[in-house]
Amino acid sequence: MSLGKVLVVDDDPQIRRVMKATLVGHNYEVIAARTGEEALEKFSVEIPSLVLLDMNMPGMGGLETCRALRSGSDIPVIIISVRNTEKDKVAALDAGADDYVTKPFGMEELLARIRAALRRSPSGPEGGPHTFTAPGLEIDFEARRVRAQGKDVRLTPKEFELLRYLVAHAGKPVPHRELLQSVWGPDYGDEPEYLRVFVNQVRKKIEADPAKPKYILTEPWIGYRFAGPG
Amino acid sequence: MKAIRFAASFLIVAAILALYHLWIGVNNTTVALTLLLAILGISAGWGLAEAIAASVAATLGFNIFFLPPYGQLTIADPQNWVALGAFLVTAVTASQLSAHARRRAGDAEARRLEIERLYVLVQAMILSGNPRKTIREFINRVVQVFGCGAAAFYYGPADEIFRTGPESNPVTDHDLRTAAEFDDLSLDAARTTAVAPVRLGMRPLGSVGLVGRLPSEQTIRAIVNLAAITIEKARALEDASHAEAARQSEVLKSALLDSLAHDIKTPLTSIKAAVTALLGASAPADRELLTIIDEEADRLNNLAAEVVAMARIEAGKLHLEKRPVLAADLISSAMLELDAALKGRPIALRVPEGLPAAEADPEFIAQALKQVIENALKYSPEGSPITLSAGVEGERIVIGVGDRGPGIEENERARVFDKFFRGRRHRFETKGTGMGLAIAKGIVEAHGERIWVESEPGQGSVFYFSLPASKGGGA
Repeated sequence: MSLGKVLVVDDDPQIRRVMKATLVGHNYEVIAARTGEEALEKFSVEIPSLVLLDMNMPGMGGLETCRALRSGSDIPVIIISVRNTEKDKVAALDAGADDYVTKPFGMEELLARIRAALRRSPSGPEGGPHTFTAPGLEIDFEARRVRAQGKDVRLTPKEFELLRYLVAHAGKPVPHRELLQSVWGPDYGDEPEYLRVFVNQVRKKIEADPAKPKYILTEPWIGYRFAGPG
Repeated sequence: MKAIRFAASFLIVAAILALYHLWIGVNNTTVALTLLLAILGISAGWGLAEAIAASVAATLGFNIFFLPPYGQLTIADPQNWVALGAFLVTAVTASQLSAHARRRAGDAEARRLEIERLYVLVQAMILSGNPRKTIREFINRVVQVFGCGAAAFYYGPADEIFRTGPESNPVTDHDLRTAAEFDDLSLDAARTTAVAPVRLGMRPLGSVGLVGRLPSEQTIRAIVNLAAITIEKARALEDASHAEAARQSEVLKSALLDSLAHDIKTPLTSIKAAVTALLGASAPADRELLTIIDEEADRLNNLAAEVVAMARIEAGKLHLEKRPVLAADLISSAMLELDAALKGRPIALRVPEGLPAAEADPEFIAQALKQVIENALKYSPEGSPITLSAGVEGERIVIGVGDRGPGIEENERARVFDKFFRGRRHRFETKGTGMGLAIAKGIVEAHGERIWVESEPGQGSVFYFSLPASKGGGA
């Protein structure tokens, strides 16, 4: 039984070979693409469940490919890159990636991150609310629907999980590490820049004025807090 | 020419005397005044000698033909001495005044000519290449424009002497070198050679020597100043183009190393991915060998990263993004990265509460700190403690890494930050690239701060580096 179909996009044939061998060995189906353009073609035909995307490719680069994928889909995307500066990570997350792995990486780590990206809780966390209603914001956690300022907004799965976790703990500050581990997985915790980028994206989608958030508040040095209606 | 003027002067006097002598009935005063006018004219027009000759002739003629007793050269009335005196005084005064005016006019004309020539020289010097070409062009132009016999130039920065030809030999190499040290221009007694220092502001550039017909001192000074400015401009131009070339080659080198690092990392990525995949499902017998491949892949990766970091530092291409950052955060992120290497090492942390934030690029500084800690680990016995400290010193935050290693001898302390330097004792035993501390130093210095080591041989060493304290206070 396949755990999912992974689209591997990298211009280096050896890396595609290693990925294919390993991922197939771990019960994933693998499709490979050499370039961003080829990835977009294969994406629409094969409908994979996750994309591993190299950042530096000739032609259409990883970031551009990621944005193109994001414009029509909320498929999990993990960017893989030789660069390890925070700026590059933020750029990748801003382009819509769910995660960022630096080359060279250990395969166990990559597998863990793939599992984390594919994991989606079909129902809300235990004890969490099923719906949330406040002036200008309605969230239906069961139907995974969000309406803000009277308009339907689309959140990616990670954004949705982030919002869900914060709402479930409304009124209490959620520390960075706890938020990272509950949304991305137990292997995470030292990626505060992930939260910065994703919180900003969610704010843009649900807050009337993202610069002066009403719902998702920053708790300096600790984490974030969702301000519920009461 | 002179003779003709004298003759003409006498003729004029004679004509006046003859005219009045034949024209009976004219009074003596009229004759004297007419002669006076003539002398005035002669002295203004031709000069003192002609005027004096004319005065004497006029006095004699006036005396003989118009003063009683007529026909003799005696003066009966003492009043007539007055006439003679008047002629002579007029002759001398007028001729001096006019000679002075003529000289002034001549000077002004000469000045105008020299300024015109200077202007020609300036124009000729506007387009110039490197300093040497400029100097060669300059001395040739000076000779050509000012018509002096020869010129020589001593160019201080290159200790080189340029000459228009052997005619400039009266100014010796020694003269030129000495002149460069002097304050002012010197002329020889005969005004046939001049040597002047060339300097821009207080900075000596060399000296100029001129031989033959010399322009005025002021003009020589102007020529010298012009030389200083032109050469300096040529130098600046040359420096700028050198700097540009150097920058381009650094950019190229940096780009090359970047792509080389990328090319090394690509196969390493496949190796690392493959070996870690195998490790995950390996039999215990294979595990050791696979671990070796894995660790060595990491080492190669670090090596590539350090080569690139060093190249960036040397190319001056670190792009710092400074922000307030707490020393505690820098230390914990470096420790996190060195997690495995720190196993089995007692760590003493000395970071006081409420330490102000530092203004630094946290990623680069964490990398520098990591290099310094790695160095401490490398040169101290296994299991010995490492001390990590932070503190405030004035406007600075100082971070320290202490070890219980053998210490560093005094004469090696400054050199440990040099690329590839190894202490005498460790030359053959330590692994690593030998770039760690050089990278740390480069990063700290890019922040405008310094790194140093205090050491007690036999006791251990403490490496310190400073960072500016953030102006805003807390982070």
